[in-house]
Parts: sequence; C-alpha cells; structure tokens
Amino acid sequence: MYKGIAASRGIGIGSICRIIEQDLSFEAKMVSDVAAEKARFQKAIDDFVEETYAMAEDVKKNIGEKESEILLGHAVMISDPSMSGEMFSMIDAGQCAEAALTGVCDMFYGIFSTMDDEMMKQRASDIADVKVSILKKLLDVKDIEISKVPKGTVLVCKDLTPSMTSQIVKENVAGIITEVGGPTSHSAILARALEIPAVLSVPGIVDLVEDKDAAIVDGTAGDVFINPEGDVLAKYVDKREEFIKKREELKKFIGKDTLTADGDKLEIFCNIGTPKDAKKAMECDGEGVGLFRSEFLFMDNTHLPTEEEQFEAYKEALETMQGKTVIIRTLDIGGDKDIPYMDFEKEENPFLGFRAVRYCLANPDMYKVQLRAITRASAFGKAKIMVPLVTTVDEVRAVKKLVAEIKDDLRKEGIPFDEGIEVGCMTETAASAAIADLLAKEADFFSIGTNDLTGYTMAVDRGNAKVAYLYSAFQPAVLRSIRQIIAAAKEAGIPVGMCGEAAADPLMIPLLMSFGLDEYSVNPVLVLTARSIISKWSKAEADALAEKVMAMDNIEDVLAALKAAAKE
Amino acid sequence: MVSKEFTINNELGMHMRPASLLSQMAAKYQSNIIVKHNGKDFNAKSVMLLMTALIKCGSQIEVVCDGPDEEAALAEITAFIDSGMGD
Repeated sequence: MYKGIAASRGIGIGSICRIIEQDLSFEAKMVSDVAAEKARFQKAIDDFVEETYAMAEDVKKNIGEKESEILLGHAVMISDPSMSGEMFSMIDAGQCAEAALTGVCDMFYGIFSTMDDEMMKQRASDIADVKVSILKKLLDVKDIEISKVPKGTVLVCKDLTPSMTSQIVKENVAGIITEVGGPTSHSAILARALEIPAVLSVPGIVDLVEDKDAAIVDGTAGDVFINPEGDVLAKYVDKREEFIKKREELKKFIGKDTLTADGDKLEIFCNIGTPKDAKKAMECDGEGVGLFRSEFLFMDNTHLPTEEEQFEAYKEALETMQGKTVIIRTLDIGGDKDIPYMDFEKEENPFLGFRAVRYCLANPDMYKVQLRAITRASAFGKAKIMVPLVTTVDEVRAVKKLVAEIKDDLRKEGIPFDEGIEVGCMTETAASAAIADLLAKEADFFSIGTNDLTGYTMAVDRGNAKVAYLYSAFQPAVLRSIRQIIAAAKEAGIPVGMCGEAAADPLMIPLLMSFGLDEYSVNPVLVLTARSIISKWSKAEADALAEKVMAMDNIEDVLAALKAAAKE
Repeated sequence: MVSKEFTINNELGMHMRPASLLSQMAAKYQSNIIVKHNGKDFNAKSVMLLMTALIKCGSQIEVVCDGPDEEAALAEITAFIDSGMGD
C-alpha cells in the first residue's frame, strides 16, 4: 500500500494508464528568418488559445464556471504584452520561438513560485502548464488523449495540470494518482468537482507501476493499492458501493429543512474557527454557526487583538452567513496555552484554574473590547454571545452587566447594534449541569459542549491513556447531565443546542432528539449526514430508545443498545 | 497626468480575474497607465505584472494615467475598483 494526500473523496478501482512526461528538449538556436519564426510562434499561440477556449467552454458546461476560469486565465496570460509581447521581442532579436517562450515563462515561474502567497504560488503551475502546452505545439509533440481513455481507467502521472484535468471524461476515469500536488491545488479542486477519487503526492508512483496494473484509489483515506489481493479488492468493491450509495442519498438533503420523520423542524449549525470557515459552513448547507471559536484572533497574533480587528472578523462571519445565527464564544483559554503577550501564569492544574470566563471577568478592560466588538458586529447579522466554562449564575449576570454597559455606550455614540443580542451559556461543566435550572433563568440560550462536559463530569483527562476509557459522552453520568441541561432549558423556554462532537454522532442523535435538543452544531462536512440521520427518527421511536437506554447502568449496555437500534 | 489612491477591498485582492479585467480595460486606452504599490511601478496593461505586484485586500495603491485619454481611463478604473473589481 502507498500513502498520499487524500484530495478527493471516494473509492476508485480500475486499470492504470500512465501519463508519462514527454521529451520536450530543444536546441536553442538563433534564427535568421525572423518573420517566419514569428509566424510559426503566432500559429502555435493561436492554436493554443483556440483549444483553450474550446476546453473552457466544455468545462463550463460539464463542471462549472469557476473551474473554466482557470483555463481562460491561461489564454489571458499568454496574450499578455509582458508574456507574448516579450517573447516576440526576443524572436526579433534572433532567438528561436522555443527559447523565447521558455525564457519568459521561466522568469515568471520564478517570480510566482517564490511569492509569499498561496494563491499566487498556484499561478506558477499555470505558467508551467501554458509553457508545456505551447512547447508541444512548437515541437509537434502529441499528447496521450486523456479524453479517449477507456472506462475504468486510473490515471497515474507526475502532476495533473488543469489542461489535462479538463479533458477528463468523468464516466471513464475511475481514479487519479499523482506524485505532486496538495489538497488545494487546481487538480484537487477539479477532481472534487468531478467527484473522481484522487490521491496526490504519492512519491515516485509513476515509476512504481506499469500500464494495465490494477489499482485501488481510496481518496477518502489517501491510500493506494497496486495489484491488490482478491480479499482486499473485494473489501474495496463493497466500500465503493457503500460510498456511492451514501453520497447519492445525502445529495437529497441539500437545501432542505432539517426534519424528523414526524416532520418536526430542527436545525443543523456548524462549528467554525475563523471567519473564512463561515464560507464553508454556507457551502455545506449549514443553517447557522453554533460555535465560532474566537481564540484564533488571540493565538495567531503578536498582540491583543484590537476592537477593530475583532469587529472586522466577526462582521465578516456574520455577513457571510447572510442573516443566519452566528454564536460567538468569547475567549476560552488559560494557563495551558502559551500566548507570549498575555501573562498567564503556569498552573499546576490549568483545566481547573484561571481560564475562560474566570480570566475574562478578572480582566474586564480586555473582555469589554471583545464584547464591544461582537455587539457592534451584531448590526450586520444575527450574532449571539456565548460564555464558556460557566459554573455560577453570577458569572452570567456579570457578563450581561458588561454587555448592558456597552450597549449604553454605543447608544450614546450613535453606533448601530442589535438591541436584542442574546447572551447564552456554554454548559460544559458538572456545575452547569447541576444548576441548569438556575442558569436557565439568567441565560438567553444554552449550548452543550460535550467534550469538556464529558471530561469535567467523569473527572477524566482524555490525554491520559490509563483513564481514557472513562472518557465517553455515552457514559450514563454524561447522558444524564445532557438530559438535565436540555430539560432545564425546555422548562425555562430558552433554546438549547449542542456544539461538541457528540452532536453529529449517529448513535447520540436519537437520544438528543428524545431529550428535546433544538440545534445540532457540527463540523461543516457532517451537516448532510446529521440531517439524514435526523430524518430517519420519529419522536416516538427516539423516546422508546431513550427510555430503554437511560435505565441502563453501564456504558457497554448503552452502546450495544444504541448500535442495535442505529439507522444508517 | 492624473492619479488617484485606492484601498483594495475585495477579499482575494488582485488575483487572476480582477487583474485580467483591469489589464483589458487599461489596454483600451492610449495613455500610459501605472499602478503604484509598495514603492514599485507596475504596468496596468499587463495582467502578469499586475499579479506580481501582490496587491491584497487592504493594500493601498495609486493609479497614475498619463496621455491623451487619461481622464476617461482614470474614471473607468475608479468605477471598476470601487465596485469591488468584478468579484
């Protein structure tokens, strides 16, 4: 088995066709008939541009407009005065067309490939692609016609260029393996758009295989098998069927409401870490953001982020979400994080120490900067403030008091904000579960953080291998805490969500539905999976299962019962 | 000669698409059109040179037009940048 980068999900099984790099060497000679050389070069460019436009048109029809723009960019690049214009000047000076093309392209390749900007670095591979395509025309080298490979082909090549990718016939190419390229390269983007499994950056793979070798491409795990044994093949044939079935099934849920089998409406939100992730949440069909971690502003920084820096980040996320809810968790760090400009003291027991809301309330000047930035950003969408690590009602009251002061200031300054901005409580400690009924009278909403709730309830450090077996949200103690928090919220009439990993767990979802959870906040890629699972359960079925499970006194029985009832 | 300063506001800055639109726009004019960024001059009629300028969201640039149709050129480029450069 070979390992590479998982670039496009799915399982591909087929027969290998290698795309070998062709010999494009030439002799750089001086030319005497400059006019003829320029005409030869012009024809090569014209043919290239014409083919590129035709390919872009195909891609636009079969894949999408965005993807076709990559190719159109190639035509624009070569037509540029500093590209072809410069090349013609070199031919005027007596260089041959091949040398002129290579000279100018290599210079720009050098500039772009060393730029400190990911997007611009990608332009270097575009330039290399343009160079090779036109060089082939000048040298009259014919490509393997990728558009003509038979059904069930696994393409193996050093690098998949956009012009190669655009010739791919989706029905015929079962998988793609390359020696270079990352998950954000054009090839990866196109492979995903075409839904062809792809594993990139497998070292030396072109020389390790022969044409017609059998290959398995696991684009989900990043694994490649060449000439696999029968049992491996059988396993992956099953895996492929399962993957395709699931993908087709999930597609039905795109753009749909999240409904239970009874037709009751619930919500699937997303957990995000930066404003850019909000775009992903939208693309994955999230109905809001249930947890926007604000730590990135503090950790990827050299100074305390200013109000303006924070405001811009929150505003960006809110605008991206187009009026959908964005729950912003205020700073959640302490002595376990080393942030040079913040003077956290090293503590014996940082997880039980001076952190999160405790640190923030002790440093109100710093905390008010963040609360003010969020409140100002609330003018641009539906923002909510979430307070982490709450253990007393007074903590919620204190935060609400700060927010009220900030609102007064903003009113006086005439700065717009959402008067109704809610302040909620991240229920993630044993204390918050125990006093959930009291907290629910003060907080505008609850969000259950199952990761910490499990740790604090079970008194377990998940990183300690000797006790990690106790760390599970399916422990009866944790399930009871979750049930109690949700019940308290329902009793008080406030909304309750969950933003831990458990919210997307197919075994946990029916229990949460029975307890009455409203909002499930998950990793963006799991939105459709969670929506699909919810659609399969009715309240009565979920209640029956929950009643049985909540009477069990050990995790083994709980898991066995949930697995037996699971609906995949 | 006329000139104007801008702050680039679109998220991805002067990437392929805006650079290509801007260069095509600039090429229609007889005037010399220069984009100044970080103390360097870039020919606005060249998409390649515009991209090498590494103009990002938040970058300050100055556009200088010099020639018979300088006013019209600057007006069209101003409208283009103010509208978010087609993004």
